[in-house]
Amino acid sequence: MGPVLTPHCERRVRQIRSSNFHSFLPPPDYQRGKMTDTPPSTTTTTDPIHTEDENNSNQEIVSAVSSSDNHISTIVIIIAMQTEALPLVDTFKLTEDRNSPFPKGTPWVRYYGSYKGLSVNILWPGKDAALGVDSVGTVSASLVTYAAIQALHPDLVINAGTSGGFKAKGACIGDVYVASEVAFHDRRIPIPVFDLYGVGVRQGFSTPNLLKELNLKVGKLSTGDSLDMTPLDEASIVANDATVKDMEGAAVAYVADLLKVPAIFVKAVTDIIDGDKPTSEEFLQNLTAVTVALDKTVARVVDYISGKSISEL
Amino acid sequence: MAPPPNEDNSISHDSSDDQHRPISTIVIIIAMQTEALPLVNAFELTQDTNPIFPKGTPWVRYYGSYRALNVNIIWPGKDAVLGVDSVGTISASLVTYAAIQTLQPDLIINTGTAGGFKAKGACIGDVYVASEVAFHDRRIPIPVFDLYGVGLRQGCSTPNLVKELDFKVGKLSTGDSLDMTPQDEASILANDAVIKDMEGAAVAYVSDLLKVPVMFVKAVTDIVDGDKPTSEEFLQNLSAVTIALGKAVTHVVDYISGKSLSDL
Repeated sequence: MGPVLTPHCERRVRQIRSSNFHSFLPPPDYQRGKMTDTPPSTTTTTDPIHTEDENNSNQEIVSAVSSSDNHISTIVIIIAMQTEALPLVDTFKLTEDRNSPFPKGTPWVRYYGSYKGLSVNILWPGKDAALGVDSVGTVSASLVTYAAIQALHPDLVINAGTSGGFKAKGACIGDVYVASEVAFHDRRIPIPVFDLYGVGVRQGFSTPNLLKELNLKVGKLSTGDSLDMTPLDEASIVANDATVKDMEGAAVAYVADLLKVPAIFVKAVTDIIDGDKPTSEEFLQNLTAVTVALDKTVARVVDYISGKSISEL
Repeated sequence: MAPPPNEDNSISHDSSDDQHRPISTIVIIIAMQTEALPLVNAFELTQDTNPIFPKGTPWVRYYGSYRALNVNIIWPGKDAVLGVDSVGTISASLVTYAAIQTLQPDLIINTGTAGGFKAKGACIGDVYVASEVAFHDRRIPIPVFDLYGVGLRQGCSTPNLVKELDFKVGKLSTGDSLDMTPQDEASILANDAVIKDMEGAAVAYVSDLLKVPVMFVKAVTDIVDGDKPTSEEFLQNLSAVTIALGKAVTHVVDYISGKSLSDL
């Protein structure tokens, strides 16, 4: 029996043929959910019903469809702080990978396991070897995202964590946002085109169904390596039209974009930046409680993802 | 030749051996093509067309043999969308990580242009070796996190090299912006820096994680505490200073050839 295209597949074929969707497809040699370098097997079938030409083109299409329309299999969740990560590690019943896939000397920790048909990996950049604090910020986040994609070949990257929120843009403590867009606010290079490179604006992977179903708030995310905010940072954040502010998102987006892995950003608000309280104080006060809210939302996101393909999000 | 990795992919770091073995493989991290090409020419390196880095990364490797050294110049390449050099700490950390993983160098040299503070004695065209590097734009006002943000690290000790080649020595401060806000300035002063760049402390971070010695050679293109706007002065002086930088780094590599880390 040859390849029969279901209405869903036919729709997918139209999408593939339409150039708009090429950016959503992984590159042809991208290994989905595999840790080896063997190329994906292509579907070859013979179909007595269709003509040879049709059969060949259908085979190509089915190969493309089957390699890109599979259910999401492997996800990598990048979480900067252990406090943010551990409740999720518990929820998904993950175990710490003692045989680290990462080079000796890197503090990065992988928690992994199977959950509702997904290979779930939580990647935490670990504690700084010298100072013992979580390896927060853009440099660690970019390294761990790079290393995780190389080692685990995920279908989707989720960057989850806490953030500051702007009440002027409607953010409240405990809100959980999915970022429509991410950008940097502390990389100012006032030379034409370098300025855009510094800002590094990128879109979160489009997940309209997920947003609707889970009723999540959506807003733009601005990233910088400081917990505080100078007037110039503030100006850049306003220019980025951001509702939430973190210390990793745009870096994760950069690496995911380089390696063409879809990425989404789930951020829970611990402190109101344009409010009265000093950031570090408010952040520390609310961290534990808001982390619980964050992890409930991320669990719902993963539950939603389970059994779906990337295009169904 | 660096020792092959162990079965678990760790590299044996018998540090006493490493220190006294002649340096064999060096990786030179350079953020801008303009800064890199004079050196690529000086060492007669060729661009590696084999993809040693993952598809999608813009990173470029120039390599070759020079005075019994395996020399690699790694440039993070042009941004795929915007076409400008992939400057800054994220690119630098990624490319340092990937280069160490693939090439297993004995020594990393991060070289490039920098702003200098005349109040600390810097002049345009000066070439500095950094004694120390730190970030000035990662402010986390929580105890210990603040130190993590600053990320202070030492350049590897090269007293003989510095003396022989008569380089200036000073502290390097790194940030992702070409300009400097008052808060950045305060942090740079706290770092006691004489020069300011956009990659050093990130290269230092990764080199430290993977325990590869690293040195920083930076040439001054603009005076930060001077009259002229930074971007203007930087662009004006970039070509000329890059040539001076190329000469200096050539001297460094010539000096390194045949020596061990402990000789430097």
